[in-house]
Amino acid sequence: MKTPRLSPQTLRVLERFVERPTAWRYGYELSRETGLKSGTLYPILMRLAKYSLLETKWVATEDGVPPRHTYRLTPNGVELVRATFAAERSALKTRRVAFSGGKA
Amino acid sequence: MIPAALPRSAAIALLRFAIWIAPHDTLDWGRGMLSELNHVEGNWSALIWSIGGAGVLAKHAILAAILPGSHRRTVSTASELFEKEGPMRKPALAVIASCVLASLLFFLVPVFRQAFHVSLAQWHEILQVDRWPANTEREPELDALGKKAGQNQDAEALAFIAVRYPNAIQRARFADEAVQLDPSLTWVYAVAGRAYLSPSEIDRRVSLLKQWDPQNALPHLFAAQKIGAPVTYSKEFPEGKLEQNPAWEKEMDAAFQSPKLDTYLDRQNQLDHRVLTRYRLDDPFQAASGEDRYGFPNYGVGECSLYAQSLLESGKSLESRGDRKAAFEKYLVVARFGQMISIDNEFTFLIRKEMKEAYGRLAALSQTEGNGQAASFYTSLADQFDKAADKQRLLLRNRFRGSDVSLWNAFLVRLSGLGILICAALLFLCALGVVIRNRSLKLASLHPSRLTLALCSGAAIGSLLSSAILFVSYRPYSELLQRFLNKGDDAQLPELAAFLRDAQRPLGSQFSMGTWHISSSMMVFYFWFAITTLCALALLIAIFRHFQTRPRASVPA
Repeated sequence: MKTPRLSPQTLRVLERFVERPTAWRYGYELSRETGLKSGTLYPILMRLAKYSLLETKWVATEDGVPPRHTYRLTPNGVELVRATFAAERSALKTRRVAFSGGKA
Repeated sequence: MIPAALPRSAAIALLRFAIWIAPHDTLDWGRGMLSELNHVEGNWSALIWSIGGAGVLAKHAILAAILPGSHRRTVSTASELFEKEGPMRKPALAVIASCVLASLLFFLVPVFRQAFHVSLAQWHEILQVDRWPANTEREPELDALGKKAGQNQDAEALAFIAVRYPNAIQRARFADEAVQLDPSLTWVYAVAGRAYLSPSEIDRRVSLLKQWDPQNALPHLFAAQKIGAPVTYSKEFPEGKLEQNPAWEKEMDAAFQSPKLDTYLDRQNQLDHRVLTRYRLDDPFQAASGEDRYGFPNYGVGECSLYAQSLLESGKSLESRGDRKAAFEKYLVVARFGQMISIDNEFTFLIRKEMKEAYGRLAALSQTEGNGQAASFYTSLADQFDKAADKQRLLLRNRFRGSDVSLWNAFLVRLSGLGILICAALLFLCALGVVIRNRSLKLASLHPSRLTLALCSGAAIGSLLSSAILFVSYRPYSELLQRFLNKGDDAQLPELAAFLRDAQRPLGSQFSMGTWHISSSMMVFYFWFAITTLCALALLIAIFRHFQTRPRASVPA
C-alpha cells in the first residue's frame, strides 16, 4: 500500500483522528485542535483521502445551516496510524535507553 | 471604519470564487471549506480561513491548467461544468467584453494615445532604442520634418531641428542652413552645442555670435570654454589652482563686463511654439526638449565660478596691499555679474558662494570708507542670496530629480502603461490557449475553462483600471502641453520636461534598498533575464504536457 509523506503536521492531524477512530470530524474542529490553518490542514486531508486513508461524508446539521463535510480514518488509515505510532514509540524508547546509558 | 460583517462577506465571496475556478475533483473540498465558514468564530478568523482555503484551491486550479492529466475529470467538457456550477460564465464573458471594449475606447481619445506613447518611453532604454536624450544617430520624425523644412526653405524649422538632432554633424549642418536662410537665427549657434565641432568652426560661430549680439556675455563664455579654464591639480591644490591664461581671462573679463546675459531660452521657446503649431506636432518630447538646456548654458557655470573666485582672490590681495579702490572694482565686477543673472535661476546656486562673498566684501569696504548707506545696501543684497538659496536648491533638485508630484505621476504613468501591456498579453495568451485547446475559431465552439475565464476577467478589469489611471495621471501634462502649443505659455514647460525625464526611466530602476541599488543598465539585464527564464519555463511545461498527453502504445496481454 502506498502511503503519503508523514510530516509533523500530518502526524498531528492523525493523532487527533486516532483518539476517536470511529468518530466523524469537522475541518474547523481539526484546525482548532491541531492549531493548523486551513491552508495547511486541507492539503493534508486531501492527501490522506487520495491514498484512501481518509473517508469523507456530508452530514446534515440543524435546520437552515448547510451540511458539513466530515472526515474519518478508513480501516487502512487506522491500521497505518497505529503502526506508525507503535514504530514511533518503539524508536523513542530505544533513544531513551541509549541516552540513559542502558538503564531502561 | 470597516463594517463588522465585511470580512466574513469577503471570505464567502473569495471562497466561492476559488470554488468556481477549482478543478472538479476538488469541488467537494472547496464546498467543505465553505460550509465550515459558518462555524468559524470571528469575522477576521473567517477571512483568514477563507484565504488559506482559496490558496489551496487556486494551487490545484493552476496545477490542473499546467498538467491536465494530474486531475481526474468527472465531466466531459468545460461547458458541462458551467451548467452544473450556475450562471457564472455569461456574466464573466460580459465583464471581459465590456472592460476590453472600454479600454479600447480610451484609445479614441488623443490625450490617451499621447499618454500611452509616453508610457512606452521607458521601453526605449530596455530595448536599447534611445529616444531622448539622444544617443542614436537618426531621428525619423526630425528627418521627415527636415525634408519638409528644406522644401519650404523654412529657417525656423531647420533651427528647431538643429537644437534637437541626435547626430552632432547633422546638427551643425541644420544650424548653418537655418542661419544662412535667416541671419536673425544666429543665436542657434549658441544653443545647438559645440560637440564635435573643429576649433576653427567654433571660432567662426563665436565670431558670428559676437557680431550679431555684441552686448551679450554668452558668446564670450562660449569662447572661454573652447579655450578651457587653465586649472592645474596637485597635492597642494587638490581642488585645482587657476593658472594664468591671457586669452581665457580676456574672454571671461569681456563676459563679466557685458551689459547682459541672454541664454536665448525665451527665443527658443517662442520658436518651438511657432514650429510645433505650424507643422501640427504635438509630441511632448519635442516640445519640452528645449527645457533640457537648464536655462543657463552648461558651459557657463564652471567658467563663471572659477573667474569669480580669481577676481575675489585678486581683490583680497589688492585690499591687503592697501589698494581699496582697485579691490572695490574687482568685487564690483563679480557683484554686477550676480545682478545680471537672475536670482531665481537654479544655476545661480552654483555660483552663489562667490556672489555672496563679493557683496560681503563690498559691504565691509563701504563700512571702512564710512559709507553706511552703501554698506547696508550690499548687506541686504548678500542676504537675498541666502533667502533665495532654499528656492534655488529646490529648483536644482527638481531639475535633476524632478519634483515629488512629477516623480509620482511619472511612476503612475509607467506603472499603468506596463499594466496595460501585461493585461493585453495575458488576454492574448488566454485567447490563443482557448483556440488551440478547442482547435476551432468559431466562437460557439470555444469553451474556455474557469481558470481561463478568471484570468481573462482579471486581465480585462486590470486593463480598464490601468487605462483610467494612465489617462488621469497624464492629463495635467497634456494640458501643460496644450497651453504651450495654443497660447505659447511656456511657464510650466520645466514641469513637463521633469515629468518626461522621469517617465523615460524604466520602472524599477533607480530603486534602492540600503546599499542595494538597481541602475537602468541592471534593469535591462533583469528584464531580459526574466524573459529568458519565462520562455524556458514555458518550453519545459509544453514538453512535459506533450509527453503526458501523447497516446501510449497498448501492451499486449
